[in-house]
Amino acid sequence: MSAVSELVADKSNATEPQAGAVKLTMILSGAVFALMMVFGLIMRAAQGQWIEVDPALFYQLLTAHGAGMVGTAALSGAAIMWYFCGRHIVLTAGIFWAFLALFLLGVALILSSIFIGGYGGAWTFLYPLPAISGGAWEAGAAAAFLLGYVSIGVGFLLYYLELGRQIHARYGSLVRALGWNLILGREDKNPPPPTIVAAAAVTIFNSIGIILGAAVLVASLVHLLVPGFEVNALLAKNLIYFFGHVFINASIYMAVTAVYEILPEYTGKPWKSNRLFAIAWNAVLIFVMAVYWHHLLQDVVMPPWMLVVGQLVSYFSGIPLIAVTAFSTFLYVRGSKMTWDLTSSLLVLSVAGWSVGSIPASIDGMISVNKVMHNTMWVPGHFHTYLLLGEVAMAFGFMAWLVRGKTIAQMSGLDRVAFVTYLAGAAGFVTVFLFSGAASIPRRWAVHYEEWLPHDRIGTLFSVLIVLATLAFVLRFVLRLDRSNR
Amino acid sequence: MKLLGLALLAAAEAVALRYAVIESPIRHVLVQMPLLVLAGVLLVWNRQIRHDLAVPLLFVALTVFLFWMLPRNVDWALTLPGETVKYLSLPLMLGVPLRLSWPWLGPILRGFLKANALSMLGVLGFLYTHAPIRICNSYLLSAQQDLGTAFLYLGAGLACLWAIPILFGNSCSRRSNSTGYASCGV
Repeated sequence: MSAVSELVADKSNATEPQAGAVKLTMILSGAVFALMMVFGLIMRAAQGQWIEVDPALFYQLLTAHGAGMVGTAALSGAAIMWYFCGRHIVLTAGIFWAFLALFLLGVALILSSIFIGGYGGAWTFLYPLPAISGGAWEAGAAAAFLLGYVSIGVGFLLYYLELGRQIHARYGSLVRALGWNLILGREDKNPPPPTIVAAAAVTIFNSIGIILGAAVLVASLVHLLVPGFEVNALLAKNLIYFFGHVFINASIYMAVTAVYEILPEYTGKPWKSNRLFAIAWNAVLIFVMAVYWHHLLQDVVMPPWMLVVGQLVSYFSGIPLIAVTAFSTFLYVRGSKMTWDLTSSLLVLSVAGWSVGSIPASIDGMISVNKVMHNTMWVPGHFHTYLLLGEVAMAFGFMAWLVRGKTIAQMSGLDRVAFVTYLAGAAGFVTVFLFSGAASIPRRWAVHYEEWLPHDRIGTLFSVLIVLATLAFVLRFVLRLDRSNR
Repeated sequence: MKLLGLALLAAAEAVALRYAVIESPIRHVLVQMPLLVLAGVLLVWNRQIRHDLAVPLLFVALTVFLFWMLPRNVDWALTLPGETVKYLSLPLMLGVPLRLSWPWLGPILRGFLKANALSMLGVLGFLYTHAPIRICNSYLLSAQQDLGTAFLYLGAGLACLWAIPILFGNSCSRRSNSTGYASCGV
């Protein structure tokens, strides 16, 4: 182990706020990640005709998998950001517990709506699908699903209100926390650290997303109760995709604080905010809200300028990410003689996976490509790259770090096997999705043609690897909790 | 004394709109009703209450607020009994308790109420612009749709009004004293 790493590791243990609540959240996140991955494995195996799953159940699993994964990515990201923001500002523990309780209430409502009520309208609750099930589920089941989202949304709203309040109290304004003094070249004796810059940006854009999401959720609920009241479907779709796009992106932007705070322990170089970093995060703040139109490229009634903006911002939105976080990670790691344990390996992998995931996203963000590819497996290929090799890897890296102890040692044999299994499984799994998309295999189909089965079966085998590695990560975390000194 | 005068002025303005509100739901819901609430707020602007009364008073204010959000009550407010109840309840049971309780509310609860108000203005915007029937019998469908659009504009305006101080500083959230009472009270 390098002496520098040990020194920084000791220093960073000075303040470890609300670790109990965060650890509990990570146990829950890990368990739900594993369960949702099993759901994914079942769906791939059913598409490959290795097992038989009733199509109605398939769509319920699809809904649970989508909502569960997005929710858990956000939950784990929120726990990570809360933990590291606690190093710079004082956060109220009660708010985190209220957030977690509302989140779990939402999960209970969503799961019961799916597996008791039979709701299978996908996590996107695209209007007016929840109300036109064709007899597959009752309005009550759809209402319970939407109320579950409302509960989770209220929990997140409390979370961001507390975060925003404390950042404001510490830095005087959110624009200072966003690094505007750095951007404008003004003197700032106490510039915000990277974690606070990220937290300020996420607080702003995800609060806006949640408020607009709440409006469309309540409007959809009114439509369920009074079917004569109809929302403009295009406006509803815009609001839903604004909310959904911002929310899932926020999960990664929250989790990346683990990279900013943990990697310096390994490289020995503190990760500081600078002008370029602040500009990049301010650009992210705008781009993440302006890019959602790339989800609506097939809606020909949309104003053309919006679709053009969606395409252009899809190109631009990769730049701040790759220019700052990925490039900086490369520079920090290069020549640092860092020790490669499970934490550092997963965190560096997560930045690489996140960056690579932006490439298929940008390709699909082109109007001419999107016309052909949008409803194919290409899209799950891109977002599984972001999530499996990005956000989820960040969460597992954070979990490994939480139970690492003060000493940084090389990866053990078991850790190495788990890491390589995860990397091989995830890389293979997303590659199959992308190949399937390129072969025009549609997404969201419960039953596949004979010609598509090889894709599905290879994908199933890779997903077995992911599930096994995930179980290893989660069990390792739980078994080592008593050893943790954080 | 100045505040009392302003309160009376707001109330008088609201009463002066008595006939104008029959023609336009915007004047009714977004001008006259807020003026009545404002009259109540100004009436007790400098008054303080005990901390333990804050939550009950907030519940009173929210209950009255919810009551007047219902379209059928907006209709009823154009009849003589409804008008009387409106003139009394909005200043005295919404404006007064809201103002008295507000400085005691924590910043999270205030933020939650504001965020919820923005979401609900969006929902009301949806409701009034897309409802297939007249939900207020006293007003034309076109006027109802205008009101829906006005709700959306109001939501956008309030979002800017509340977000700018947080973004650029100078919010009063840091000016609470040790008992939790925020002196600026907004």
